[in-house]
Amino acid sequence: MTRKRNGFAAFTGIWIAMFGAVAALTVSAQQAEQGGDPHADVLSIGGSVTEIVVALGQQHRLKARDTTSSYPPDVTNLPDVGYMRALSPEGVLSVGPSLILSEEGAGPPEALDVIRAANVDFVEVPDALTAEGIIRKIEVIGAALDVEARAKGLAAEVEGAMASALADAERPANSKKRVLFVLSTQGGKINVSGTGTAADAIIRMAGGVNAVTAFEGYKQIGDEAIGLAAPDVILMMDRGGDHGAQKDELFAMPAIKLTPAAQTRSAIRMDGLLMLGFGPRTAQAIATLNDALYGKGA
Amino acid sequence: MAALSDIETIPHHRETRANTLHWALAGALVLSCFASLQVGATDVTLSTMLAKLIHGETLSQIERVVLFDIRLPRLAMGVLVGAALAVSGAAMQGLFRNPLADPGIVGVGAGAGLGAILAIVLGTLLPAWLIDLTGNQLTPFAAFLGGWGSTILLYRVSTRHGRTSVATMLLAGIALGALAGALSGILVYIADDTQLRDLTFWGLGSLAGASWAKVFAAGPMILLAIGVSLTLGRGLNGLALGEATAAHIGIDVQRMKSTGILAVAGATGAAVAVSGGIGFIGIVVPHLLRLASGPDHRTLLLNAALLGATLLILADMIARVVIAPAELPIGIVTAVLGAPVFLWILLKRRGLVEL
Amino acid sequence: MSLIAENIRVSYGKREALRGVGLTALPGEVTAIVGPNGSGKSTLLGAITASLAYQGRVSLNGRCVERMKPWELAAIRAVLPQASRLAFPFTVIEVVRIGLQSGTAGDRPEVPMQALARVGLAHYAHRTFQELSGGEAQRAMLARVLAQVWAPVEDGQPRWLLLDEPVSSLDIAHQLQVMEIARDFARAGGGVLAVMHDLNLTALYADRVAVLADGERLAFGTPAEVLTDETLSRAYGCALRVSATPPSGVPFILPHAASA
Repeated sequence: MTRKRNGFAAFTGIWIAMFGAVAALTVSAQQAEQGGDPHADVLSIGGSVTEIVVALGQQHRLKARDTTSSYPPDVTNLPDVGYMRALSPEGVLSVGPSLILSEEGAGPPEALDVIRAANVDFVEVPDALTAEGIIRKIEVIGAALDVEARAKGLAAEVEGAMASALADAERPANSKKRVLFVLSTQGGKINVSGTGTAADAIIRMAGGVNAVTAFEGYKQIGDEAIGLAAPDVILMMDRGGDHGAQKDELFAMPAIKLTPAAQTRSAIRMDGLLMLGFGPRTAQAIATLNDALYGKGA
Repeated sequence: MAALSDIETIPHHRETRANTLHWALAGALVLSCFASLQVGATDVTLSTMLAKLIHGETLSQIERVVLFDIRLPRLAMGVLVGAALAVSGAAMQGLFRNPLADPGIVGVGAGAGLGAILAIVLGTLLPAWLIDLTGNQLTPFAAFLGGWGSTILLYRVSTRHGRTSVATMLLAGIALGALAGALSGILVYIADDTQLRDLTFWGLGSLAGASWAKVFAAGPMILLAIGVSLTLGRGLNGLALGEATAAHIGIDVQRMKSTGILAVAGATGAAVAVSGGIGFIGIVVPHLLRLASGPDHRTLLLNAALLGATLLILADMIARVVIAPAELPIGIVTAVLGAPVFLWILLKRRGLVEL
Repeated sequence: MSLIAENIRVSYGKREALRGVGLTALPGEVTAIVGPNGSGKSTLLGAITASLAYQGRVSLNGRCVERMKPWELAAIRAVLPQASRLAFPFTVIEVVRIGLQSGTAGDRPEVPMQALARVGLAHYAHRTFQELSGGEAQRAMLARVLAQVWAPVEDGQPRWLLLDEPVSSLDIAHQLQVMEIARDFARAGGGVLAVMHDLNLTALYADRVAVLADGERLAFGTPAEVLTDETLSRAYGCALRVSATPPSGVPFILPHAASA
């Protein structure tokens, strides 16, 4: 019995000691000095944000990036702070940013609270699936980085490119191909894009029709529903590897076998960030996808 | 005829060993606490900060944030959650007289998971004033309510005429788990892409969302539940002999069951709410301790609290450092480290891990 | 100061396992309950130990059992179950100590070892319980029960050993040893109530015997009064003859003839 009490004593002793130490440190902690130029060191979160920072000629200010930032390829040499919705506050602070530029939806909220408490500026860049949205992103980032003039130039450039890409891709409704965006085919379960997604937006911009409009977002879809969607083309993200084999595998799936796309073996693979990022290269994405759908110069 | 030398072959009293272990584990916990404050993605270290303070220098803004807003709340949460999971595991195994029982059996995991998914997917449908009120805490709060609620439900279902049937509870737990899983599945289907990502990360468990608010919200509940659990040692030892025998040696079995189940639901519910699903601590820690110092619950429960806290802090250190500045979900670390250890124990000491 | 069960009724679903059975066990005596399989012997002990729901009245040392707290009961009576499955790898001595915690000898750390020595298992004290054979496990459990009520009389009150088939998985030598322990406990002033399967051992060691058949008490008295051709034949449903030697040439071994 006395031994047991000793154990309790040990346990409570540790607790008291621990929290005593915390309290002591809290009391003795002093006001800290302010950091230097707040815009020198930038952490960029989100593939399109990083692309825009680089397109604004500000790559030298990037200190780190998140996992989705993979273009241009040399940004992958920067430290990676992980997935944007599961940031580690200390990981973010460890790369020493004075400004964080982030796509919408970074988190968890506790991490952002702590990061703000460390006097790091946090700018959220609004998401968008339109040409105007991309321009807005560029303006917000340009303002945050104090390079408004360059931003204006880039915005004008993107605006022009988008306008001409959209005009080139436009075609009569009756000649539009039905495009099925397949996110994944893991374990034979086919996950496709409905409406309201980046995939839906880029398909429409590139002069196609989204074959699935029955629901919003990315969802698993039944085999028969795919038959009903009757896509002329299957669109997927390019994950590397042997495209021929992947194509064989794709069109061998019972659900896809019977679609018009399987009969013509029409499958398009595109880089995910280019296609779905809605960054400065979106005009290029539209043109590429349009070419892939209807052939060059169509 | 059995040789008298049998007495000499096991000369050590396991009880003494268990009590020595209190101190060893307490020491290990203190050390790992300091280590946890020392290491992180930034090159801020506890030792340099302490040196600065001793010399009367001031800490930089980054140092203060890293220490007080990041590492300390995270450490406190790690200690609380690790201790809660390990003690709950040990108590659950004692109550169910089964070394493989874990708090999941009383529906805490399934219920908490459902609560969290409800909050993540349908939280936006709540009236604005309620969202403002709960803020970031909606998901943990819903997870706690879900875990606690499902345990109470199971307890009600399996208690007849003042007697709780452990077997019924087990079966009802499976049914409730299936139901919660199905409801979760429906919600997952409704969920959009970002909500799905949130769900995935919630399920993997992490201490990354640690904050003082969470520590102060979950702390009292966890400490109370651990305190209550620690008083169950004698009763759980009796229960190892069977429910009837436990009653014959003077244990109020029904009261112990209800206290134990409520304590486990409280501790695990609160732990899961703030840290998501962290596996293996509740199973591996009591097992390691039973191998080291025997199954006597009077020492096992306290040692489980100490070892659980220590292991979770160490796992969190690994999670934070290995791929810094990004970090691994801690549930992955505990599973990757815990599962092989568990298998190794089973292989090595098959005879002693009696089912 | 005795154990009194009155008009005990127990039903399992629709089947009535006991139909109003009573008995009185006195301190200083070994009281045995015998009867064929399914006669309700273990059910009667279960009711007396409150392990199952019953109607009727049980009193122990003049107090109604139902109104006593589990720990009050544990201080004056210990129960040996028929079979025990232990959930965790406790050592033998640890199991005995679990019994001691609840008894009144809790401040005497030497008692568990003495109890183990009493059942001849002192040298197995630090083995895990699961390593024991069936018979050894039964004796180890007896040691736990003994440790719980180590002194047969305490504060002028008898204490009780309630044993459910205590010798069922033992060899003949250990059967005798265990019955000696029970008798010694009774001779020292304690009370023993045992469900017995073996009629010879019952005849040898019991001071009083209750014969049950089909949920009713057929007879109650000293072995000489109760263990008769007529009663046993009726109870067990086959012609039995007491104290008759088998035809010559067939060996028979009775515990009566054993000497230590």
